[in-house]
Amino acid sequence: MATETAWKVELLSRFQLATFLEAVRLLDEGIATAVDIDIAMRAGAGLAIGPFQWADKTGLDVIVHQLEKMEIAYGERFKPPASLMQKVARGQLGISTGQGYLAHHGSRTL
Amino acid sequence: MYVKKVAVVGAGTMGADICYTIATRGIPVVLRDVDDAQLARAQQHIQELFDGRVGSNKMTAMDAADRMGFITFSSRLEDLTGVSLAIEAVTEQMRVKEAVFRELDRTLAPLAIIVSNTSALSISHLAAVTGRPDRVAGMHFFYPAHMMKLVEVIAGDHSSDETITTVMRLAEEIRKIPVRVKECPGFVVNRVLMASMAEVLRFKEERGLAAAEIDQTITEAKVAPMGPFFLADALGLDVAYEVAQHLTQELGERFRPSQELKTLIAEGHLGMKTGRGFYSY
Repeated sequence: MATETAWKVELLSRFQLATFLEAVRLLDEGIATAVDIDIAMRAGAGLAIGPFQWADKTGLDVIVHQLEKMEIAYGERFKPPASLMQKVARGQLGISTGQGYLAHHGSRTL
Repeated sequence: MYVKKVAVVGAGTMGADICYTIATRGIPVVLRDVDDAQLARAQQHIQELFDGRVGSNKMTAMDAADRMGFITFSSRLEDLTGVSLAIEAVTEQMRVKEAVFRELDRTLAPLAIIVSNTSALSISHLAAVTGRPDRVAGMHFFYPAHMMKLVEVIAGDHSSDETITTVMRLAEEIRKIPVRVKECPGFVVNRVLMASMAEVLRFKEERGLAAAEIDQTITEAKVAPMGPFFLADALGLDVAYEVAQHLTQELGERFRPSQELKTLIAEGHLGMKTGRGFYSY
């Protein structure tokens, strides 16, 4: 039972982190804005929540921690991106601090 | 720029759905195809979409007939007269698209805009075969185009701001949600989807789990509306493989398709269209 839950947790984590990391690459390459990438993934892929909204809600520090573990287990492709590390270093951790990839005011995303 | 008349070139399902969406908003639209039989099928498909709206009381029969009247089904180039924006929606092959772009460039007024509904090919490359690269852009609809709200509006190297603004406005006018995207392989949505799909394919191979178990876990957690394996089967495994290969070449190893996908294709299992892929239908 415990092992069954473990694979599910890992699957969801890898799925969501892979989604988030590709979104960060698009943002870093200047392909689209964070707001637009979130809109695109909701309206075009039917995700309930955009990858940046998800990251800001989860907490960017928490995500860095998850990525570091994944990087050890699966390699380079999970390496936390420089832009993410920078935000965390500045104390921009997402909804909890009012700023992450998106700007938030209370429970409202600006 | 004010778009008074639109042309959709290529009367496949995508072209027909786009044409229907435009006519629904009361904008005159020419659906062009070189194949009259294809046009007849498209006309029937669009009629069925209108009938569906009438049947579910979303539209009166009179309004449906009125909107249908905004569409000209045509295989004749002369019918493109007065078109201010053309949407190319032919098969996803560069040579075919190039030919369509050249023909539109010769036929349409100099100020007309030409956009491509490509999901993978280079907008800048298509722009370069015309004498109006500033008036070329990407307008990427999602399947089914009359239901999916998103339109990725893609600027090529030479697309002017006015061109992009006009395409964004047209998308809004037909009740879509346009998002401005710079050119890159896969644009935004397909690039992100293919990255997560490749990761889940690797996970499946490592763990030897069933596709259904994985899909179910993902949909039950509500992180995506459908699982990656169901999505791949719907898309066609050959199409998914081709896109994954292209993204691997352009962007890196993280997109590399799994051995299992290759094996299924080699065995002729291409997803829903052949009755078997990751699932049996």
